[in-house]
Amino acid sequence: MTDYTAFRQEVRDFLRANLTSELIRAGQLTTSVFSDFDAGLAWQKILHAHGWAAPDWPKEYGGTGWDINERYIFQEECKLANAPAPVMMGIQMLGPMLMHYGNDEQKAHYLPRMLSGEDVWAQGYSEPGAGSDLASLKTTATRDGDYYIVDGTKIWTSMAHHANRIFCLVKTNKEVKPQAGISFLLIDLDTPGITIDEIVSLDGHVEQCQVFFEGVKVPASQLVGEENDGWSVAKYLLEFERGGHNFTIDLKKQLAKLRQQAGSVKSHHGRPKLQDPVFRHRLAEAEIEAMALEQTELRIKGSVSAGGNAGALSSLVKCVGTELGQRFNELSIDAVGQAAIPFHPKSLDPRYGGPTPAPDYALTSMAEYINNRAATIYGGTAEIQRTIIAKQILKL
Amino acid sequence: MTEEQQMLRDASERYLRDNYDFNQRRDGFRAGNYMSQSHWDAMAEMGWMAMPFGEAAGGLGFGMQECATVAEQFGRFLVVEPVLDSVVIAGALLSYPGVTAPSAIVEAMAVGEALVIVAHEEQDAAPSIKNTQTALTETADGFQLQGAKRFAAGGGSATHFIVTAMLGEQFSYVLIARDAPGLQVDSYQTYDGRSGANLDMDMALPADALIVSGPLAEQAFEQARERAMLMASAESVGAMQAALDATVEYTKQRVQFGQTLSSFQALQHRMSDMLIQLELTRSLVASACRAHDEGAEDARRLILAAKVKAATTARRVTQEAIQLHGGIATTDEYSVGHHFKRVTALESWIVSREEALESFIAAVDAA
Repeated sequence: MTDYTAFRQEVRDFLRANLTSELIRAGQLTTSVFSDFDAGLAWQKILHAHGWAAPDWPKEYGGTGWDINERYIFQEECKLANAPAPVMMGIQMLGPMLMHYGNDEQKAHYLPRMLSGEDVWAQGYSEPGAGSDLASLKTTATRDGDYYIVDGTKIWTSMAHHANRIFCLVKTNKEVKPQAGISFLLIDLDTPGITIDEIVSLDGHVEQCQVFFEGVKVPASQLVGEENDGWSVAKYLLEFERGGHNFTIDLKKQLAKLRQQAGSVKSHHGRPKLQDPVFRHRLAEAEIEAMALEQTELRIKGSVSAGGNAGALSSLVKCVGTELGQRFNELSIDAVGQAAIPFHPKSLDPRYGGPTPAPDYALTSMAEYINNRAATIYGGTAEIQRTIIAKQILKL
Repeated sequence: MTEEQQMLRDASERYLRDNYDFNQRRDGFRAGNYMSQSHWDAMAEMGWMAMPFGEAAGGLGFGMQECATVAEQFGRFLVVEPVLDSVVIAGALLSYPGVTAPSAIVEAMAVGEALVIVAHEEQDAAPSIKNTQTALTETADGFQLQGAKRFAAGGGSATHFIVTAMLGEQFSYVLIARDAPGLQVDSYQTYDGRSGANLDMDMALPADALIVSGPLAEQAFEQARERAMLMASAESVGAMQAALDATVEYTKQRVQFGQTLSSFQALQHRMSDMLIQLELTRSLVASACRAHDEGAEDARRLILAAKVKAATTARRVTQEAIQLHGGIATTDEYSVGHHFKRVTALESWIVSREEALESFIAAVDAA
């Protein structure tokens, strides 16, 4: 077995030298999959300068070429050190897809700009009428000479208000069955005819947008893969959205934070909440579930290292990881009680240094709880994942 | 899985699939049997009784990872013979490092000639060391053993019992033969198709009946309890697998409202949840067995977690299996209900789910 001690130390040393207190604060105040945008971008530039912007990419495209264990260690150390999360749609999702389906020109143009943070990508998949049933999407791209003319709308385009580009699934043939008439287009968000509406989430913050396209002229060279073959491109990409994530790292972080919260609050009996038998019981049961997930992720990692494929087990992990994260969120708001209720968005801004209505340990509980309801909806809902398991593993 | 584990798994699966007939098992139970002597002999022949014992004692020197692969198959095929009760649990008490047990009994166990059952639990009390009331007192030429033991699982066919008792303040255990004078054994069938025994004792014992006393006895007992948690969990994994397989198979065939039950999404998702829970449990149980065998630092925490998870999950999955089948699964003719009964018995066997959960909390606090 390879020894990763030296690698882990190298990552730790790098983090200690480069994570400023402002960046750490942004990491600590992260309440969803997205950190403060500026902090995330600043961190990505630091990573890029060190050659670490794309932990999952092969070396030839400017990635690290790390094996699965190194990637895991890097993810874990970043999380534990409270590094902010850069916007990931480009590097984590579009990048691997372009390496597989993109032409040389597209790779040469887009991949380096993704790494440097010069391009920030949004994802244009869902539409108001096409969520889980993605193939029913209605945004059209009509070929007109060297261009496609795009009309329609995309929703849940995370971070589109900060992005300069969007990758979209569009309908290029309405005559065939839905999956067969879809194509994959890269679109510059500065193109005339595009408007971006911000969507305020339950926590009062904007992460999601709706993007409208009206007669938008997109050069035909921006098509990825073959025309009408967008569905297989999209499926390949979705695997990265589902399979690339390690939930154990998040859950361990959540658990440590939860212990700190429950240790800071006194329960009705005057002792810390962490010693309340009812709370301890619930916490222990959730912790045991997290251990079972950890061992399952290790099992999958072992089979992937040995050349296997996670397959539908990534659906299993997605279901359990997200639902367990939500369970920890509930324990967190239960631990801090009314201290979770003050609505004070400024206190979640890493640049704000003023007084807050609630103690520091309670600042993120409510926003995390609220924002994480989306975890079982995005990336294929919990129900879609269960259907995948039923079809692919149980063969129902 | 190592090659050895894979072979053991395949061999036990093959034997049980080909020979361990469900209807025969049911008929045996209805006839009042505690187990099948011919299956017992065949299992001894295949070496399963020798698994955990050291090579010096004629054993195979297997760890809990190997034993678990067999336990899992026992769970699938609803084996009623108390193989693991004898060789893994009683075996742990007799072969714990530093404990000197008569070599004849261990050798007899390893070939299936002796069937030794631990009798620890007492009336109106959970089976912890603290609740041991049975008393052992020294006499001129040995000991006097006085007390009562209840619900010794597998005890119906036991040839010997290991009885726990207090020698003054010292937790101790003795080995006694079933036919020893002064020992009254009342045996009975159990809901999970097996047997149990209640023991009433007021008997004189020779000095060499005492196996061990004091802290070493407690340590050995604790190890046996850990192994019981692992075996119960592994067997539950097998039982859940069988219950899920049967459910998938049945819902693909059963037609209602003009379509197979398996085509209803509400049912598909419930079966997916059964699979999710089964696989999570499988991962945790395998890691706990590995940690136990390797003497890993976090072994105890993993074993307790595995026990809690397996007991919780097995209850849920087998209940779901009955519900998704419908009426058929509530009959004695159908296998799934028997998996349900077996995992229910395993839940509180030697270490209950709730005790394991409390101990888990204590282990986390101590860490």
